[in-house]
Amino acid sequence: MVKLDRINLSNEGLTKFFSPIEAQIMTVLWENGECTTPDITERTGIPLSSVAGTLDRLVKAGYAKRTVDRSGQRVRYLYSASESMDSTANSITRKVLDSLVDTFGKVAIENFHTYNKK
Amino acid sequence: MAGLAGHWEMFSISNEIGCYVTCISDSGMLPWLLASLFMALLLFVSYLNAKTPGSRISSFIAAQLCMLASIGIAVSSMHCSRMLTIEIYTAYAGLSTLAALLLPRVYQRVLIGRHMARPIAEIMEWPQAFANKVGNNSNLNSSGTLDVYYYDSAIPRAFASGKAIFLSIGLIEIMDMDELKAILAHEVWHLRHRTGTPILRNLSMITFTRNCTGSELERLADTFAAKTVSRNAVESARAKLS
Repeated sequence: MVKLDRINLSNEGLTKFFSPIEAQIMTVLWENGECTTPDITERTGIPLSSVAGTLDRLVKAGYAKRTVDRSGQRVRYLYSASESMDSTANSITRKVLDSLVDTFGKVAIENFHTYNKK
Repeated sequence: MAGLAGHWEMFSISNEIGCYVTCISDSGMLPWLLASLFMALLLFVSYLNAKTPGSRISSFIAAQLCMLASIGIAVSSMHCSRMLTIEIYTAYAGLSTLAALLLPRVYQRVLIGRHMARPIAEIMEWPQAFANKVGNNSNLNSSGTLDVYYYDSAIPRAFASGKAIFLSIGLIEIMDMDELKAILAHEVWHLRHRTGTPILRNLSMITFTRNCTGSELERLADTFAAKTVSRNAVESARAKLS
């Protein structure tokens, strides 16, 4: 989950900020919109025993949301991302920038102004 | 502290026994006291040999009540103040019996609050009716209502305590109707045999005796669920949870 003390800059892609399972689930939710639990296990290829606890954590942390669907004979969860990928990227960036400015002050801000890589 | 040390210096088991014998012999209550103690002993032996959790609990509580009756007889017969052992045992018997009677209900309320559980009827109708039907089954020799609750979690889990069964939505969504029935029957068995709370484990600790192991209880609950629903439903539910 995106906690500043858990950010690992040496990892690839979203796993810098999420655990590998969280990153896979969030990618599925961002790409597919509303999903059931079997949709998520099928698309990530991760067994239910690992997905279930991670889904609870993502919902509790506010990155995913779920509703209970009672249409038809079955009761099931419908999951979706709480925010778009861009909005989530925004809030992660904001957290990291706040932390850098808190720690390094003007030096951090000067670096943002001169930053033009990529 | 000096007063307390003085009290312990004065206390002696042989003096206590001498005091009991003199006072109770003089009062004419000795036959009643012996009969009550003998009943307590018999009930405690039957508690140690009980085959089912229900009979273990009932024989333990009955033994405690006989001991309380014995204490009542002893207290009414005595005319001196050497009552320390009686006071200690009365406190132990009273508190342990109260805990044995109240623990399941208290624990159930704690679980409802902790999981923010809601009545299952809010999302499904049949599980409550099915649990009541199985719970009043003559094979279980019991009656009364059981409450079925659901709670918000993707982790597939079912458990029982007091007079309530708890199912997670994660469990409900992956099981078909027969598998859910098998799980409910399994949990009803636990409730009707009073094994869903720490009560038997507590009794075992209080009396320094052995309780059934968890796997034995699970096997017995599965056997009941297989008889009530089907062996296939039990096995496929277990496979989904493993």
